[in-house]
Amino acid sequence: MRILVVGGGCGGTILANNLARRLANEIRSRKVRITMLSASDKHMYQPGLLYVAFGQMMPDELYRDQLSLLEPTIEFHVDPVEQFHLDQNRVTTKSGRTHEYDVMVIATGSRIVPEEVPGLVEGSETFYSEAAAVKMFKRLREFEGGRVAIVVGVPHKCPIAPVEVTFSLHDYFKTRGIRDKVHIKYHYPIGRIHTIENVAKWAKPEFDRIGIEYETLFNVKEVDVENQVVKSEEGTETEYDLLISIPPHRGMPVIERDQMGDGGWIPTDRYKLTMEGHDNVYVLGDTTNLPVSKTGSAAHFEAEVVAENISSIIKIGTPVRDYDGKVYCFIEAGHDRATYAMFNYENPPDLKAPNKSMHWFKMSYNKMYWTSVRGLL
Amino acid sequence: MTAQTESPQTAKTVDPGELAHELEQLSELATLVLSARDALSDDIVSRVAQALSEGITLLDRLTRNEGLMRLLQVLDTPESQHLLHGLSTALAKMSRDIAISPPAKGGLVGVAKLAMEPGTQEGLRSLSLLGKYWSDSMRELHRTGGN
Repeated sequence: MRILVVGGGCGGTILANNLARRLANEIRSRKVRITMLSASDKHMYQPGLLYVAFGQMMPDELYRDQLSLLEPTIEFHVDPVEQFHLDQNRVTTKSGRTHEYDVMVIATGSRIVPEEVPGLVEGSETFYSEAAAVKMFKRLREFEGGRVAIVVGVPHKCPIAPVEVTFSLHDYFKTRGIRDKVHIKYHYPIGRIHTIENVAKWAKPEFDRIGIEYETLFNVKEVDVENQVVKSEEGTETEYDLLISIPPHRGMPVIERDQMGDGGWIPTDRYKLTMEGHDNVYVLGDTTNLPVSKTGSAAHFEAEVVAENISSIIKIGTPVRDYDGKVYCFIEAGHDRATYAMFNYENPPDLKAPNKSMHWFKMSYNKMYWTSVRGLL
Repeated sequence: MTAQTESPQTAKTVDPGELAHELEQLSELATLVLSARDALSDDIVSRVAQALSEGITLLDRLTRNEGLMRLLQVLDTPESQHLLHGLSTALAKMSRDIAISPPAKGGLVGVAKLAMEPGTQEGLRSLSLLGKYWSDSMRELHRTGGN
């Protein structure tokens, strides 16, 4: 049985390690072989980028060698897939090699596409890449006061990021003693301040308490860089001195090129996590078109289900679990307080008041992540 | 056999003194927890979490490493421990002898002289036997993939 894992991010790595643990005997007796194809030999802890943008983490703390995170029985190649041949159960890679498979897991993730909004690249700061996060921090350090606007593109990775960055901005300026010179305005594309209703209910009074203005139904149309104005599809405008953006995202180009899903999101069975029309192809994390958050935690819980099912199919011929849509998100509510949201297809999150212990749990998780991707936690 | 049950009316009443003592102990515990919380910082929490994370990973790798477990089983016999002890002593003696011996002059005469010594012959015999058994083990390793 040849298992091919395409993508070495959070979901792909957890899945491959989980499978290698479950199928240790089968791998040893050469009945199963696990191969991973990735675009990079480095693994990045992506939630850490927000900390980099506020000078709370250095970029080098975000990386580990991918090989050091994988079980030794996994065959690893830095050789991204260039073309999927789903009807022939094989892929071709950048180096020109062909990999055949019996079971494939696609976990290629997502990418930011700020260029889809005119002026967003030139006119805004963001934290969705290492370079951007460092640049944003330097810009924040130089900022001495004025109007800060936060705008949100859709869809985007990490649904909590818009509120987290807003709370962090408030605390950052407060710590620097210039909060009274800064006016923060938050913009959100739908009719409330967050897509998850209970997060919106929780965040609204918090915003009121710390003096953050908000405007809903604001879908970013363009940024007039010269006049420092951000305009919405709905016809409203906001002037700014510093614009922070959560850029819109898309799936990987290879998914769109091979017409496997609109916007690079692959149509996926919400319970089995198989690609629609292909029972031997599973999809994980951001790559799915599922109505769940595009976060590492969704990828994590999905990876556990997929690993258990692939393993049980090999051992007893049938899958044993369904994905229930579980997502767990930490929410940093400033420099030293945090809470969390846990939800699934059936149950919305029930947010508790933020506290310091949850903040430390999050700080701990920033380090425990590496144990998590190794398939241990 | 009859079962005896205690009615709510006869249940033990709480002694106010005892309750006050228990509350005091609880308060002490809360103070301890708060004091620990105040003494910690983000940096400390991060460092401890990192150490724990790496420790758990190391423990996991060690406990799932079958080769290491087999090695530990072998080392857990008096014979193996005696051999390792003997090897260590021999290495120490060799190191001292080399340090106090004059440098070798070279040439076939020197080699012949050394080869005539009983110790050299014993050593060669040991190495030859070691090679014989070790090569068997190496063949087995490549035949089974180490399983």
